Amino acid sequence: MNDNLKKLGYFFIALFSIISLYLGYINVILGPELATDSHNRRLAAAEDAVIRGAIYDIKGRILAQDQVSGEVKTRVYPLGRDGAHLIGFVSQRYGRTGAESTFDQYLLGIDQAGKIKSMLDRFLGRQQYGYDVILTVDSELQSEAAGLLKGKRGAVVALNPQNGDILALVSSPSFEPNLIDTVIGAGKTGYDQLIEQEKESAPLLNRAARGIYPPGSIFKIITQAGALELDSKYIDRIYDCKGSIEVDGFILKESAAHGKVDLNRAMAVSCNTYFASLGLEIGEEKLKSSAGSFGFGFIEYDMQGVKIEKFPVIDAEVAYNPGTIPANTLSMAEIASSAIGQGRLLTSPMQMALVASAVANGGVVMKPGILSKVISQNGLIIKKRLPEKLYTPFSEQTSRILSRAMVETVNAGTGTTAALSGVQVAGKTGSAQNPGGQTHAWFIGFAPADKPSIAIAVILENAGGGSTAAGPVARKIISRYLDSIKE
Amino acid sequence: MDRKREIKLLLVATLFLAAGAISLIMWQKDDWRTVVIGASVTASSFIMLAVIWYFLGFKGDQYLLPVVAIFSYTSLIFLYRLFPEYAYRQFVWLIIGMLFLFSTTRIFSHLRWLSEYKYIYGVLGGILLIIPVFLGVEQGGAKSWLDFKMFNVQPSEFVKILVVMFLASFLSENKILLTKGSNTLLGFNMPGIKEWGPLLGMWGISLIILVLQRDLGTALIYFGTFLAMIYVATARYLYVFSGLTLFVAGGAVSYSLFDHVKDRFDIWLLNPNNFIELGDQEYNQAYQIIQSLFAIGSGGITGTGLGAGYPKFIPAVHTDFIFSAITEEMGLMGGLGIILLYLFFVYRGLMIAIQAKDDFSKLLASGLTALMGLQSFIIIGGVTKLLPLTGVTLPFISYGGSSLVANFIILGMLLSISHEAQI
Repeated sequence: MNDNLKKLGYFFIALFSIISLYLGYINVILGPELATDSHNRRLAAAEDAVIRGAIYDIKGRILAQDQVSGEVKTRVYPLGRDGAHLIGFVSQRYGRTGAESTFDQYLLGIDQAGKIKSMLDRFLGRQQYGYDVILTVDSELQSEAAGLLKGKRGAVVALNPQNGDILALVSSPSFEPNLIDTVIGAGKTGYDQLIEQEKESAPLLNRAARGIYPPGSIFKIITQAGALELDSKYIDRIYDCKGSIEVDGFILKESAAHGKVDLNRAMAVSCNTYFASLGLEIGEEKLKSSAGSFGFGFIEYDMQGVKIEKFPVIDAEVAYNPGTIPANTLSMAEIASSAIGQGRLLTSPMQMALVASAVANGGVVMKPGILSKVISQNGLIIKKRLPEKLYTPFSEQTSRILSRAMVETVNAGTGTTAALSGVQVAGKTGSAQNPGGQTHAWFIGFAPADKPSIAIAVILENAGGGSTAAGPVARKIISRYLDSIKE
Repeated sequence: MDRKREIKLLLVATLFLAAGAISLIMWQKDDWRTVVIGASVTASSFIMLAVIWYFLGFKGDQYLLPVVAIFSYTSLIFLYRLFPEYAYRQFVWLIIGMLFLFSTTRIFSHLRWLSEYKYIYGVLGGILLIIPVFLGVEQGGAKSWLDFKMFNVQPSEFVKILVVMFLASFLSENKILLTKGSNTLLGFNMPGIKEWGPLLGMWGISLIILVLQRDLGTALIYFGTFLAMIYVATARYLYVFSGLTLFVAGGAVSYSLFDHVKDRFDIWLLNPNNFIELGDQEYNQAYQIIQSLFAIGSGGITGTGLGAGYPKFIPAVHTDFIFSAITEEMGLMGGLGIILLYLFFVYRGLMIAIQAKDDFSKLLASGLTALMGLQSFIIIGGVTKLLPLTGVTLPFISYGGSSLVANFIILGMLLSISHEAQI
């Protein structure tokens, strides 16, 4: 009988081992998911007990703050509509977005060290505070950019090409973050009303990071970069523009016959035939790898030309769409049109600001970010964001050549509307054809050209030519920013 | 043999209680006197019991009482943290339970003649089980409670002891017969009707509990204990497998016939990765178990710390779900610690069975041990969704007087068997 008892003992060891392993699985593997499940009321309860940290801009101006009167806490956003997509909102009912979401755990003070402190605070009955978050954004520049987009649909991304710090990020139309939970007549909250407008104008969409547009002529920078990386002979390439080019029976026309053009001239006048033929010369593979080196994703399209994969998203402090190019084999005609930014290419303003910053920063794209630092109530620095290389799409030599061509564009080409007196601006315009009517107006660029401190992407939906519509917006923002750092 | 080891271990357990008490005082300053008095009285009662046994020359196992002391301290600490009024009551039940423990160790050896009258308490157990079906009140979906105004009693907690005693004496008497079998079929020894009788009888009792009292957990424990005992007595896997088959068959029929059984199983089959996709109705049905998993998942490895979690989001957290509260606030470490202590309890219980001198004692000790082991496995498995959720208590830790007193009686019986083996 003792043998049987031993076997019964082994059976119990097996049972308890299974349950121990399973408990470990629930606790460690599923734990993070369970802890943050939307049905789990723990986060909301923990949040209620904490005074959420404030969000400041780089100059110490308040962007978001808890205002406490008695038992009621209200989150206040002084920038209102101007910073809505960037700063986001926090709501018990509608979740959290923007920086409020990205830095939630800091604002609540629930990192590992904060956990211990908040447990102590709770033990001792003290008020718990989250950490303050300081962003790289300049709220005056942000408001300036928001003002320039007022009443229009579009987006602006401005960043420091040397370290990836985002200086302003605007999406228009915007919304009022202070009214998200407020009931505004007919029992509807501000958020409910935004949802109703979503189909028509999508005010909640952060166009700057997640809007996807055809790039148009600004893509020519990527085509040219690919060629220069392939062979230095393309520095001196001359092409005779006759006003149109035929590829496999498909005729690509443009506004004028530019005659014999070199790289600088072709960029300045945005010569379609120059870049279409260049694309064909370097070939599909090089064109795609050049886009890929900037982070563009490749997505498969089915026979009907419908994309069958989701758009990729880059997980940065402001998650953004890196742009896409078809993974399928392209026809000659499509290679030609892709080389000038038409065809099945899509990109976001953030991605195009990074393209500009690659040229500005000697071929190195720094990871874009909005966090400057996180500090605790008693002034300790909890976290600091350090500059981080994201991609190196091309060499410094290539960047100098591209920069010269973009300077030429602003001085004597389509980009003159962005020119400033006293500061050399470099840029490229784009007028992207789209099914929605008038072309989207693009401008990407940087300044000062010799030592860039700002790179920018501007898009105005269906606003016509990049030169007339987007160039002036970029000029005002660049000017404002350069003035502000001079002070 | 002196009892120094037991006393030393109890002193270690006291440190655990002291740490818990200090946390509770920091967390709830106003009520510090109650905490200090409660903790001191409890700890000194355990130590006093060990000292009394020492002077009485009691030779029972020295490890079980310290393990149970840790369970009891965990119980008081967490009940106080959750609902202090339940901790006060549990404290009273704990003292009563210890009196029962002491009495059991004093009188058990004089009650050996009881094993001769197994059918009497077999029938008594049956009656006690059936009574709540007609006179009982429902609590937590199970109709197994008797209302005595001042307090409710759950007879099935005590009947389980009677069932184990009945089986121990029946099996020790019929062991040979059951092992050999009396009929042959195609050259194999096959047990006849007389040998199948107890199996079918226990199966019937378990189904009655399941169906009439709606108590899936208790049914599972009874039947599992029975299978463990018949295996220990006969070493025949045939019984175990046919028993399991019968139980699964019974379960399957109940699933299709009874809504409460079906609900439990349907909830069990939900995917824990996909709560977000649950419809509102499903979510509400599975509310308890989902809240329990949220608590366990929120604890992490070291837990949120005592008082810093939100275990009160779980309904019935002080009874069936106390393990989830412990894991939320003491983390995976705390949860595993509790599981290991139950395994250690089982180990000591089986050692007592191995050392026991006669078949009846061996079977009784192994049955009582299996009962404890299965019960803790089933409820911990239930609240973590490893098994369908069943409403049974976590022995010595969940709030509940009947369960606590019955468990102390079981402890007393195990210690008595151990004591007899040493003299």
